[in-house]
Amino acid sequence: MRFNPSLFSRFAPLALVSLLFALTVSAARAAADFKFEVQLVWATTATNSPNPEHKPVEEEVHKKLSELPLKWKHYFEVKSENIRVSKNETREARLSKICRISVRDIDGKNFEFALIGKNEPVLKRTQKLPKGEMLVLGGNAPDATAWLVVLKRIE
Amino acid sequence: MNEEQQLKLQAFLDGELPETEAREISAWLAQDEEANGLVKELRNTRQALKNSQSPVRVPESREFYWSKIQREIDRLEPAAEPVRKTSWLQTFRRVLIPAGAVAAVAIIGIIAGRQFLPAQLASAAESEMTVADSGAFTYHDYAHGTTLVWVSYPADH
Repeated sequence: MRFNPSLFSRFAPLALVSLLFALTVSAARAAADFKFEVQLVWATTATNSPNPEHKPVEEEVHKKLSELPLKWKHYFEVKSENIRVSKNETREARLSKICRISVRDIDGKNFEFALIGKNEPVLKRTQKLPKGEMLVLGGNAPDATAWLVVLKRIE
Repeated sequence: MNEEQQLKLQAFLDGELPETEAREISAWLAQDEEANGLVKELRNTRQALKNSQSPVRVPESREFYWSKIQREIDRLEPAAEPVRKTSWLQTFRRVLIPAGAVAAVAIIGIIAGRQFLPAQLASAAESEMTVADSGAFTYHDYAHGTTLVWVSYPADH
């Protein structure tokens, strides 16, 4: 097969336009906000929560939590908040009287998640969180139950 | 007689020597039989060549004859590359070819990077953790894209 410069020159503008389009899309994405859903979840072996305001977590979250090495079978949503973070911005959501979670955009791909309890930092983690992936922070609670903070990227 | 002397005699015969030197050669020839013999031989040779050359006449005029030679020379010489006028479109295309190649390679690189680099590898490679709780541990469920961080934080919140 012989290299045909004239044929290549026909496709060169198309490739250039495609690259410009890709760069524009990347730039638009970089400028966009990032939306996260944060849920405070109570994990238990009991089928029902004593608090009638608690509702079982949605099916997708339940499925993902079931895949984790956790002994609990039932998960109830205590509180849910949405956090919208702009580029290089930090936003916070209050999950209980003394528990807060903050999300900071670092570079459009990496985010810093900080769990604050009693006005003191408990945990600070930096990682990517693409859409569809989930970060779960958890710990033991009384009566062989557990608390979980579930972070999901929505946008 | 050496070669230089022979050349001197040839120059003398052709009338190319200055007067003083020509006089010296004449004196030398009067004394040297060998030199005198060589001059005679050269003179005879020149005369013989002169007599044997008959003038050549061409049927055309002198100008026409030389113009034919000139045309033949021009025909045999490679034709010079004509200076082509390039339009702005051609120049633009010339720039677009390398630019397009670079763009194509960049697009392939971006697509390949996104398609073939495992997401969990990319995310795990750049994550770091700072925990105030030394008893914390992290578990990654790469299949479902879930990360679990377990801490021993009291739940009285």
